[in-house]
Formats: sequence, C-alpha cells, structure tokens
Amino acid sequence: MIIGLQITGFIFALLMIYLSIVHYKKGSLNGIEITIWLVIWTLVIFAVIFPEILRTYSQAFAVSRLLDLLIAGGFILVISMVATLYLKTKKIEKKLEDLIRKDALKKK
Amino acid sequence: MKITIVVPVYNEEEKVVDVLKELSKTRFQVVVVDDGSTDNSLNKIKNLKLKNFIVLQHKINLGKGAALKTGCEYAFTHSADAVIMMDSDGQHKVVDLPRFVEKLESNKYDVVFGSRNLNLGVPLDRYMGNKLASVLVGFMFGIYVSDLICGFRGLTKNAYKKIKWESTGYGVETEMVIRTKKNGLSHCEVPVETVYYDNYKGVSIIDALGVLVNLFRWRLTLK
Repeated sequence: MIIGLQITGFIFALLMIYLSIVHYKKGSLNGIEITIWLVIWTLVIFAVIFPEILRTYSQAFAVSRLLDLLIAGGFILVISMVATLYLKTKKIEKKLEDLIRKDALKKK
Repeated sequence: MKITIVVPVYNEEEKVVDVLKELSKTRFQVVVVDDGSTDNSLNKIKNLKLKNFIVLQHKINLGKGAALKTGCEYAFTHSADAVIMMDSDGQHKVVDLPRFVEKLESNKYDVVFGSRNLNLGVPLDRYMGNKLASVLVGFMFGIYVSDLICGFRGLTKNAYKKIKWESTGYGVETEMVIRTKKNGLSHCEVPVETVYYDNYKGVSIIDALGVLVNLFRWRLTLK
C-alpha cells in the first residue's frame, strides 16, 4: 500500500517538475519562481522516498500516523493556496473591470 | 431634474432596435452600454443614429452590473441628476417611465424599484424563486421589495454615490436593494408591465445560487 502511494507521489512530483519547467520555458514563471517550485517538488520526492524523515515531525505535532500528518499538511497547503488565488483573482477582476470601463468612457 | 435612461445590452440584436426606437420618442437622454456583445447588436445600435443617444462599448463581456455601472458613471459625470435603468430585451415598457419620473421628481425618494405583477404570465419556478428571495432578503436585511430582481429601476445621483455596487453580474439588483437599506435611503415601488419573451435568457439557477451565497457575504461584510 505504502509502496503504491509512494510510486504515485513520486510520479506526480516528477510530472509537476516537468510542468514547472515547461511554464518556465514559456515565460510564465521567472527564475526565482522556478527555483522555489523545483525545491518544493524535490523535497516532496525526498519525503515520498524516505517517509521516515517526516516521522520526527509527526511526533512533534502529536500525530500518530505519518499519513495523517501528510493529509493535514496537504489540506492546509491547498486551503491557503485557494484563498490566495481567490483574492488574487478578485483583484485582477476589479482591475480588468476598471480598465474596460475607463476605455469605454474615454472613447466618448 | 435631468433624467438619463441607462440600457445595458448583451447579445440582443433581435429586440434592442425596437426598444431604442421606442425610447427615442421620449425626451430623455439614453446611454446604451454594449457589454461586449458577440452578435450584431452593436452595429445595429450604431446604425440607428438616434439623437440624444450615447453608445458606450465594453470590449469584453463583464456582466450586467458592470454595464449598469459604466452607464451610471457616464450619466452622472455628464450632469444627470437621476437615472432610470431598463433592460434591452423588450421586457420593460416605455409607457411605465412616467411612473419612475414622477417619483424621482417628487424628491421624496432616492431609489424607485419597478415591481412586476408576478401573478401574470411569470413561470411558476421564477415566481417562487423571486418571492423566496424577497422574503429571505427581508428577513436578513430588514428591507422587503416585492420584485427583487426586476431591472427596471430609478435612482438619484446621491443614491448612486452611496450604493455603488460591486456585483458585476446578475447579483446587482439584490445588492442594490441591500445597499439601499444599509445607507438608509428612501425608496418606493412602482408597478410595471412586463412580458416574458423567452425562458432561456436571464437569471439561471447558477446565477441564483451565486446570489444566495453573496447574500451571506453581504450580511457579514456590508456596513
């Protein structure tokens, strides 16, 4: 079971590294961003191959199972990312609306 | 009192010409906002070349709320004292305009809500949804408007300054009602005629759910 999860996690992380590089080449990510993402996904690969590394942290957080720690960590990460994206999208929407309105009013 | 009519348009090439021709018979200035239509609406409007008409264009579709806001911004920065908003699909009738004008010119009301006779010709699901929404808004915010989502409305410059809405889509009508209450603006309802031409346009269930979610957000955030 663990091996299956590890393989899935490993492949997923490799895929994300590939996607990060593709986006870097397209210019969607700059040098700093690609470095941060590569470090993050490399750490994920390490954690997937050597899950024992995380066991120390699971004890520190009083979480009995390693998987629970990963799930909890994943949830926190996903929720914070969704919240950040939501705020950024709202900001961009507002800017776009203002720009379109300004353009419409300027042409009169 | 200088009153301007604001008409948002989005893909209404079949009906908008008739609506604007009717409006051209009135004494009011009309601001038409094409909200990024992908059909022939804009060309048809421009070809009409009607006097006292201003045509504004959003390069991309932003939604009804955003189009109304653009129209109001134009009107109020060009000496309008009040605006009346009308849909471009022919559901609202020009013959009802004097009712709004009378209320606005009386200087007793900041906001005038059009109210359709929902017992006549309105599909049952829409009737129920509308009534439920009115009751819910009444319960949550302490203001009851019998036809919450009717787009036929009038408001003064002073009212616009206070209730400038954030909704870009169909939530605009509900937000307007809530902000009217929150800002303590005087308001009234006038009966209007309406005709349901089609069922496929207008507020969808997804839009309605979005508005429902926003009701709770406005309850928490609007002061």
